[in-house]
Amino acid sequence: MENLMIAATERSPEVDFDFATGRLSLKGESYPEDASAVFGPIFAALERFLGDAAGKDVQFDFDLIYFNSSSAKALMNMFQLLDAAAGRGIKVVVNWHYAADDETMQEFGEDFSEDLEHVTFNLVATEG
Amino acid sequence: MTTPANEPQGLAPQYRAFKRMLDERGILFSFSGYLSEGILYSLGETLRQKMTLDDTNITTIKKVFSVFIEQAQNIIRYSAEKVLGNVGKNVELSSGMVTIGTENGRFFIVCANTILEEDVPRLKQRLELLQRMDKDEIKAYYKEQLREAPDENSRGATIGLIEIARRASEPIQFDFDRVDADKFFFCLKVSI
Repeated sequence: MENLMIAATERSPEVDFDFATGRLSLKGESYPEDASAVFGPIFAALERFLGDAAGKDVQFDFDLIYFNSSSAKALMNMFQLLDAAAGRGIKVVVNWHYAADDETMQEFGEDFSEDLEHVTFNLVATEG
Repeated sequence: MTTPANEPQGLAPQYRAFKRMLDERGILFSFSGYLSEGILYSLGETLRQKMTLDDTNITTIKKVFSVFIEQAQNIIRYSAEKVLGNVGKNVELSSGMVTIGTENGRFFIVCANTILEEDVPRLKQRLELLQRMDKDEIKAYYKEQLREAPDENSRGATIGLIEIARRASEPIQFDFDRVDADKFFFCLKVSI
């Protein structure tokens, strides 16, 4: 499956999905005018990849500075997809990166992780 | 600007008085007019830069920025005064006002726009519900709405308003004022 690389824009994150190695990442900021236009293709690619990822190890790094509420909904959908895949036996590790003094991003990470039953979720604080 | 007898005469005195009035209310900046996603981006960047230069802590910057973005995007989406069209690309310009300032040691953000009368009851109901909730209830409500499919025609308003209430340090304030037969002036004030 083709890798998915999308450069960041002022209001949307950098996407780097390397499907061959199972290393995925979302990085930057997300408050686009239309979250479904930004996340639709990302979600679709992730869904296709996870549907055929039996025996693969998946590592997903989230390194987000800020996202708005409609992006949060899209992220929640992605986590549900990842958790379902992990429930089918695919090993999924999520690393949630946040600046050590950023309580908002830490809390978002904690909130998302509470809903996941099968994914290994690591909160990774980075010093500024 | 009109100049009643007790107001300063002359262009500079008039606008100086206008600016002073904003300054005295602690306003960092105020935008009134047609708002676009491009303006939202530029105002948001300036706001973050100003707060960073003032050594505001990162959590406060994040909260103020988040409330600003959600409020500005609500204006862009829901203002009853809009100009839509194509100028080589599709543009959506929505009239409204966003004001950010400080008072009593806190940041405040006020957004205002006109809305259709038919949209008032539902918006009022949502805001009253959020006003009555405490921090934990708002957080639980946010998580619940995160999993819900979006309401029809809402383009994400429910979760946006919850995000705003969640970042507030005291209950949100809002008000409606009738403009004409079918429109109201709506404003929402959030302190952080």
